[in-house]
Amino acid sequence: MKQIINLTINDKKYEVAVDANLTLLDLLRYQLGLTGAKKGCELGDCGACAVIMDGKPVNSCLVLAVQANGKNITTIEGVEDENGLHPLQKAFVEKGAIQCGFCTSGMILSGKTLLDKKPNPTETEIKSAISGNLCRCTGYQKIIEAVQSVSCEG
Amino acid sequence: MLLPKFNFYEPKTQGEALSIMNEYGLKAKLIAGGTDLLANMKRKLLSPDALVGISEIEEFKNLEISDKTIKIGSCFTVSAIAESAVIEKKISALAVGARALGTPLIRNLATIGGNLGSARPAADIPPSLIAYNAKAVLKSVSGERTVLLDKFFKGPGFTEIQPNEILTEIIIDIPDGYYGAGYINLGIRKAQDCNIVNVASFVSLDEPNGVINSARIVMGCVGPTHLRANAAENILIGNKPSEKLFQEAAKIAESECKPIDDFRASAVYKKAMIRVLTKRTLDIAVKEASLK
Repeated sequence: MKQIINLTINDKKYEVAVDANLTLLDLLRYQLGLTGAKKGCELGDCGACAVIMDGKPVNSCLVLAVQANGKNITTIEGVEDENGLHPLQKAFVEKGAIQCGFCTSGMILSGKTLLDKKPNPTETEIKSAISGNLCRCTGYQKIIEAVQSVSCEG
Repeated sequence: MLLPKFNFYEPKTQGEALSIMNEYGLKAKLIAGGTDLLANMKRKLLSPDALVGISEIEEFKNLEISDKTIKIGSCFTVSAIAESAVIEKKISALAVGARALGTPLIRNLATIGGNLGSARPAADIPPSLIAYNAKAVLKSVSGERTVLLDKFFKGPGFTEIQPNEILTEIIIDIPDGYYGAGYINLGIRKAQDCNIVNVASFVSLDEPNGVINSARIVMGCVGPTHLRANAAENILIGNKPSEKLFQEAAKIAESECKPIDDFRASAVYKKAMIRVLTKRTLDIAVKEASLK
């Protein structure tokens, strides 16, 4: 039996009917066409599915869509504004922090949450903030540099 | 990976949640953070008829602090524990355990009640709580009872919680006087890792630099549940903290644990590391106690 849920995604309000066993990740990708959150391990290990829920980055593969009822979600699609890409997105492009790109949306959302809270994080804090996001290209150094470059400018 | 089908209930109050659990019993599972439960359901290890979402029930999310006690609602998240200034000040070893759990993404979902209820012998939250002599409050439609966390775990995945009960809160009585505790977990990686061994130690002193009047040493990953190093605790009591005493206690703790060989490490290595971590956590505990 489907249940009706109401949630806000990237400042837009949605009312959708979902099955109880649908994850937030599948809702975003298959029902709403927001494919920025990636499907990796599906068990909460890789962080490719990260979205920001009520201000905190979470694994959307481990949240039921019905549990996201009433929540405020930001996906990678909601990070850029009318002026274009977010400074952290630009930094990822400029610093070569994107290789295959599969981890990028999760990395940026984890990095952005850290920068919103701590505009000048230390390297250790950056490493800790992205410790739930795996990069199988192992391009961690460039990713850390990209986050650092935004913090210096900020 | 598809989740099996189930009915989802979202009770608004504790009373509603209790009556649903009373009706469904074993056929229902409570869900809060879901980080453990949903992973197990995707792996087809579990397939409950119903999930009962309790993470939006306000009374389960409270952190209540008074001079004598700290009460943590079962749906209080692990990241909120890690960031709480009061928890850091009064029961720092719990905050250390919270910061060691999973990853930031997991900690934002995972709850203290879930970490206790899933009853993994390698879990990061229970050792410190047992060391602080914390209690769990279990409620059902017919009443409530309080269980010492030391007696709460029955085996991997098994606890004192009955099918019709809900773990509603964790109570920690703030010890009097000069006390401190340390927690250290050892793993291959710093994040997203299952511990090889973990130890929490608690001591209280009769005065700064005085003798130890109570001690609790809790060892994880070295038995089906967390184990107390009772003999090691006993030799501490009535003595002044010293390098020699702590080395002696650590050696005894090593002999009290019962690890198995597995792909993470050999039993011999785990035992040796229990010794090292017991000594180090006692050092942290005494340092904290003398600063109080």
